[in-house]
Amino acid sequence: MRDKLLIVEDLWKFIDGKPILRGVAFEINEGETKVILGPSGAGKSTLLRCINLLVMPDKGKIIFDGEDILGKRDIHSVRSKIGFVFQHFNLFSHMTALENVMFGLIKVKKMSKNEAEKKAKGALAAVGITEELWDKYPAQLSGGQQQRVAIARALAMEPKLILFDEPTSALDPELIWEVLNVMERLAKARMTMIVVTHEIGFAMRVADEVMFLDNGVILEKGAPEQVILNPRNERVKRFMDRMKYVYSIGKGNVY
Amino acid sequence: MISELLYIISKYGPLLLEGLKTTFIITLISYFIGFVGGISIAITRTFLHKALKVFAHIYVELFRGTPMLVQLFFVYYALPEMGIRFDPILSSIIAIGLNSAAYQSEYIRSALSSIPYAEIEAAYSIGLTRFGAMLYIALPQAVRIAIPTLTNEAIYLFKYSSIAYFVTAPELMYMGKLVATQTFLYVEVYTVLAIIYVIFSIVLSGIARYIEKKLQIPGYIV
Ligand SMILES: Nc1ncnc2c1ncn2[C@@H]1O[C@H](COP(=O)(O)OP(=O)(O)O)[C@@H](O)[C@H]1O
Ligand SMILES: [Mg+2]
Repeated sequence: MRDKLLIVEDLWKFIDGKPILRGVAFEINEGETKVILGPSGAGKSTLLRCINLLVMPDKGKIIFDGEDILGKRDIHSVRSKIGFVFQHFNLFSHMTALENVMFGLIKVKKMSKNEAEKKAKGALAAVGITEELWDKYPAQLSGGQQQRVAIARALAMEPKLILFDEPTSALDPELIWEVLNVMERLAKARMTMIVVTHEIGFAMRVADEVMFLDNGVILEKGAPEQVILNPRNERVKRFMDRMKYVYSIGKGNVY
Repeated sequence: MISELLYIISKYGPLLLEGLKTTFIITLISYFIGFVGGISIAITRTFLHKALKVFAHIYVELFRGTPMLVQLFFVYYALPEMGIRFDPILSSIIAIGLNSAAYQSEYIRSALSSIPYAEIEAAYSIGLTRFGAMLYIALPQAVRIAIPTLTNEAIYLFKYSSIAYFVTAPELMYMGKLVATQTFLYVEVYTVLAIIYVIFSIVLSGIARYIEKKLQIPGYIV
């Protein structure tokens, strides 16, 4: 039971009276990578944001690390244990790469400056950000570098779970690789991750399970081979055919 | 004309310098009060609870909606009736500082609202509180953005601190008036004053541009 890191039960979210999430439920074990696929507007971002309480769900249960986090008063400590990687990186633009990573260690984890610096440098090295980039500001870095700094910022906090919200959607094709590569290495190191992405190739390689979200409902979930290559649901099949066309996998029918 | 100007400077220079010193004291301290007050009001109106927000809003409207001179007279002439008495310089500092806080709060508030919410959210995502995100992420960037307007405010205060003359604070304008009535060289004296005000306004903008450059974030185009 302990190795169930996250249990989401019957999660509902309404925005302006409109149901955005409609009874979403799933579980994730420690060390697993889960990929969420689905069309834009499906509620994928909202789901991730509910999990780290950037958005408060209206109904349902989220058990994280054995605790019901929706009942908790101290949402900040919950968030500090869950990393979040944004589509547009969201680095602090007035801080260098190194300062971006040190910031949470000092302000949230209350580490000394020296300790934080050592740890931050380790995290940056782990995502392949080398020394000559540490003192650069976000605006001086490429998108791929910025996203890797953002991953280092999340990693340095030693989260139990990292949520990725379309981490490569704002990147040029060449830079997508360097970010996916870092994420794949994280997955191999048994970091628990939930990844919203359109990169079905990455999902095929890395995901332990794939979920397809549409209109706030999980239409299908299962092994990547099954959901991506042989979906049962008609809607999922149509989506996957188009994805396979875009990413040149197999010979999908084009509708 | 030139010889009269030189005469004023050589004979009354020390007196005018004394006045300039007082002008600087009033300007600097009231600007500082305005800056700290402005930041507090801006934070209150952007991040804090309803009741405080309304209070801060009323403050701003009150101080922006009435002439600074009325505020100064209120502090210097009306407050003593309620048993609160300040000397002319302190009255000026208080009135100008409180007035400037209202304006500076608006400059900082509009800069705060231009900070991308994405960065605030990123701060939340690593466990920062609302206050922490505001203090370490929003505010440092907002102050940078507001520097040009905050500078204007400093130059504005430097010139408008001359209203302290009306409550007999011995600042530059007051000293100038003294010299003028003694020498009857009105044109020359006020020309000297104008030159002093212009020179130091230019110096102030130079300092501000230097600070702006220093604080600029590399690669970041506002
Ligand atoms: N803050 C918000 N205000 C209004 N509508 C929102 C807000 N956040 C999300 N939505 C709506 O919720 C739906 C799902 O959004 P989102 O979770 O971002 O989907 P996805 O990430 O799958 O593209 C969309 O229709 C979107 O317009
Ligand atoms: Mg999204």
